[in-house]
Amino acid sequence: MKNPLMKRIPKELATEWHKYLVIIIFMVVMIGVISGMYVGHDSMLVAVADGRETLALEDGSFELKNEASPELLAAIESGQRADVRQYYIDKATAEADEEVAEAIEKELRDTVRGEIEKAVRAQCAALGITDEAVVAAQVDAVIESRFDDALAEARETESYQKAAAEAYDEAHKAVIEAVDEEWDEIAERYHLNDDFSPVPVTLYESFYHDEPEDDDGDGTQDATIRVFPSDAALNRASFLAGRAPERDDEIAIDRMHADNVGVTVGDAITVGGREFKVVGLLSYVHYLTLHQSNTDLMFDAFGFDVGMVTPGAFDALPSRLHYNYAWQYRSEAADKVALAEDGNHLLQVVITQALVHDGEIEDFLPEYTRQASNFAPSDIDGDTTGTTIMCYILIGVIAFIFAITISNTIEKEAAVIGTLRSSGYTKGELVVHYMTMPVIVTVIGAIVGNALGYTALRKVAVDLYYNSYSLPACEPAFSREGLIKTTIIPLVLMFFINLFVILRRLQLSPLQFLRRELRKQRRAKARRLPAWSFLRRFRLRVLLQNGSNYAVLIFGVIFIELMLCFAFGLPDSLTHYGEKAPEMMFADYQYMLMDSKDADGNVITTAEPTAERFSSVELLYGKDAAAAFAGRGSGGDETVTVYGIAQDSDYITLPHDLAAGEVLISSAFRDKFGLSVGDAITLHEEYANRAYTFTVRGVVDYDGGIAVFMENGGFNGVFDREADGFNGYLSRNAITDIDEKQIAVVITQEDITKVTRQLMHSMGQFFGVFKIAMVVLSAALIYLLAKIIIERNEKNISMVKILGFGNGEIASLYILPTALVVTVFALVSFVVGYFLMIWIFRIFMLQMDGYFAFYMAPASMVLSVVYLLIGYGFVSVIDYLRIRRIPTDTALKNMDM
Amino acid sequence: MEIADLRKSFGQGEARQDVLRGVNFTVEKGEVCVLLGPSGSGKSTLLNIIGAIDKPGGGYVAIGGDKLQDMDEKHLTQYRRLHLGYVFQMYNLIPNLNVKENIEVGAYLSARPLDVEEVLTTLGLQEHKYKYPNQLSGGQQQRVSIGRAVVKNPDILLCDEPTGALDYKTSKEILGLIENCNRKYGTTVIMVTHNEAISQMADHVIRLRDGVVRHNTMNQTKRTAAKLEW
Repeated sequence: MKNPLMKRIPKELATEWHKYLVIIIFMVVMIGVISGMYVGHDSMLVAVADGRETLALEDGSFELKNEASPELLAAIESGQRADVRQYYIDKATAEADEEVAEAIEKELRDTVRGEIEKAVRAQCAALGITDEAVVAAQVDAVIESRFDDALAEARETESYQKAAAEAYDEAHKAVIEAVDEEWDEIAERYHLNDDFSPVPVTLYESFYHDEPEDDDGDGTQDATIRVFPSDAALNRASFLAGRAPERDDEIAIDRMHADNVGVTVGDAITVGGREFKVVGLLSYVHYLTLHQSNTDLMFDAFGFDVGMVTPGAFDALPSRLHYNYAWQYRSEAADKVALAEDGNHLLQVVITQALVHDGEIEDFLPEYTRQASNFAPSDIDGDTTGTTIMCYILIGVIAFIFAITISNTIEKEAAVIGTLRSSGYTKGELVVHYMTMPVIVTVIGAIVGNALGYTALRKVAVDLYYNSYSLPACEPAFSREGLIKTTIIPLVLMFFINLFVILRRLQLSPLQFLRRELRKQRRAKARRLPAWSFLRRFRLRVLLQNGSNYAVLIFGVIFIELMLCFAFGLPDSLTHYGEKAPEMMFADYQYMLMDSKDADGNVITTAEPTAERFSSVELLYGKDAAAAFAGRGSGGDETVTVYGIAQDSDYITLPHDLAAGEVLISSAFRDKFGLSVGDAITLHEEYANRAYTFTVRGVVDYDGGIAVFMENGGFNGVFDREADGFNGYLSRNAITDIDEKQIAVVITQEDITKVTRQLMHSMGQFFGVFKIAMVVLSAALIYLLAKIIIERNEKNISMVKILGFGNGEIASLYILPTALVVTVFALVSFVVGYFLMIWIFRIFMLQMDGYFAFYMAPASMVLSVVYLLIGYGFVSVIDYLRIRRIPTDTALKNMDM
Repeated sequence: MEIADLRKSFGQGEARQDVLRGVNFTVEKGEVCVLLGPSGSGKSTLLNIIGAIDKPGGGYVAIGGDKLQDMDEKHLTQYRRLHLGYVFQMYNLIPNLNVKENIEVGAYLSARPLDVEEVLTTLGLQEHKYKYPNQLSGGQQQRVSIGRAVVKNPDILLCDEPTGALDYKTSKEILGLIENCNRKYGTTVIMVTHNEAISQMADHVIRLRDGVVRHNTMNQTKRTAAKLEW
């Protein structure tokens, strides 16, 4: 026989539908929103990762000034460095040979001419001719008639040949000596003394034109479009709308740029002075963000565009053709370090081969350093922090809801449980019975939530990414992390919390259930109350009697405040940080130079009086090194900027007695990882197996970044740089007298706000949704809590109704105390929730690069309490209606459930 | 059933209260045994110990020679499941199950349950079988509670003040049903009551006061429930 208790489940669902509906909505909202974020996030990363394969992303590219010869391309593809020394020797030898040949010829001619003149003059003297004019005429005549023969004869002489050979030998020796004398400098310039292993690659033409683009046909340039031909073998595009161009007057352009400038499929735009019809919107695998130049700090999806035309249209474009060649390694690098090594080796190959084949390099960019293909995925990758915080808060809330709901149910059904146990029902049967409902509700919530997460809400999340980046089309991808965090963990948590609560409750004997002795201690005596009016005392009595219910309520209210603090505080924190960023800059401008010397070897200087040299390098700090939060960080290692600062810097004050290995750290570094003076920190390089350990000597008040400061001399020593080396200028004013080509990047407050931008990207437009979701969930939670209080007082309420109390009076007796308690709890819980949020936030910042503290604007603080009270206001109305509906026979009926 | 030197006390030290102070009696199979006594005499405690939902401080209860205190929790549950039916003063029905389903809750526990429809007929609940407990009067609810207990076809039916919350007429109906079950199914009935009149329908009357058996008599003038007057 099937357990008849199971027949209760659908009936319970039907009669208590509002309670379970609230719980299911709670779960659906939580699982749906968070799973949508995760699924969107993972789908996008999968699409990007798949695109790298299917759309054949390059491993890097280089640009030459002119089209490369087949020999040069073959030489580079071989992956072998050219023999630069031999090239210089050959080149110099050829020049020397020419010079020697010229000198020998001149010498020979002079000698022959002299010999002929000498012989003619001797003959003239023997014949008695003394007139110099006659003698000179005679000399000229003989030279004219005999010179070539004499020259030929002279060339045949042994002495001539010996002298010529000696001259060549001497010149060749001199060439080798000269090349070798300068070899060190040459080798250093081309990194020829570095370790090298051949890196065979396959090269593909990735030629492009940068053309002016006019989107609205007004004759003015709206953007620069980088146009590629449609027959590219590498770096292909994914189409989000339309198709690839098929005719010479058709073009496909970047989807995000098109969105930004309002161009759609079917529109006409002018590119390079010719009109094209837009037939497709695409995402190029190597332009996921529209970085025109790799040194651009931010991409520009308005002013820059990429597009695709037919090869015929491509050839007809008027601007200069960029001879860009993309490469793919023939064997895949094992790891990041190997990849970086391959890049460095190939750079040597390209430089040396271009040198010996007379090519001129304009650009060289390994893909792993390419912003346009790496910025978006790395930005997306760290985007789940806010979602994770919300997820854990909500899991806590749901576990709490189930714990109180199940506890309340068992309390309500105590007599029945006692009867069933007395009749012989086993604990196991009752556990299964009481577990069924929460499991069903959780499963329904999980299924509906995930269904939404993989459909509508995934689209919302994916659209957020499309608003930020030029990403490829993506299909829903299974998110393992999402499933675990939004479904498995809540299900398991629900299961075990319920199991724990039910098992604990069912430990009582059948008799205890029958007698409703569910708690160990009961107040023996009624508390004496002051001589207040009857109603006031009654209210106080209600308040005191519901102590345990209010204890549950405060936990619930703390959760609500935590949710509201999150909903209001996260956007506040981002905005606040963004606003404070300018104050956080220790120098208004940080100019990072390509090199401290220009092409001629001259040190780059400036006349700007406030400019001060500095060095910097980016290293990584293992997040696991922060013992307090070991293993918590999931976003990889923290990027730390190490600065070498002048001893008497105007920007950073360094102690004069800073010993070797001692450094100052930024306040953000200290706060994020809980470091203090005297601690040792170990930083390592990302693309090389090198690590450095420093001792924290002090803290620089700088919240703008995770940074380490040391004296520049010490810096150059530690990082093996030239003694007076540097790689940038700090300045209060813009520096105008340094050639832009020498400047790699200028760091302004934009860089400091990167972490907030990262969160804003992912969540900015979701904040509104989050706020609404949190407010709804808060109201749902307070509804459930208030419902429990009224239910537990149902009999008493029924009784006072019988005694003749009106609904208004009963409301003042039962709702007013709860309203007072909720108000007080809201204030207390706000404080608790606020500080809890600060703590949670700090832990989760470890997943991010950079650091900023949790902040709430005063208005948000007020609102987070007010919203709760408004929510409770609505619930009070429902409570009042509920009180009105309680029948008078509830107290009289022999009903124990 | 043998009850031997059964003792039970609550509290400790000065607050200690001896509820049962050496109770001895036996109940034969098929008997209707009424435990009679005023409030606080220990009769409900005694019934709870017999029903294996309370433990004695001393002495034992043995059924067919098996002592309850020798059984662990699992065996006690099995004992209740297989041998006992319980009827309380409070009916403790499951509100969202209808009459028939509430009776099925009992039937589920038994390896040899009675036919639910037959029980419904016996208890006069056929016309109410799809009603929910809150649609029934107190007497009807108590009938359901009896149905839930007897449908298991238990060896012993334990009734704790089954008419305590009912009026005279309904009480007599309920007692008649219990009597009927005893007759029809041969169920041993142990009934706790403070109503002296009910003892007249018993085969065996045990009067308790202050935790001890004052009188243990076999009723030679047994009357049917219908003829009871109080």
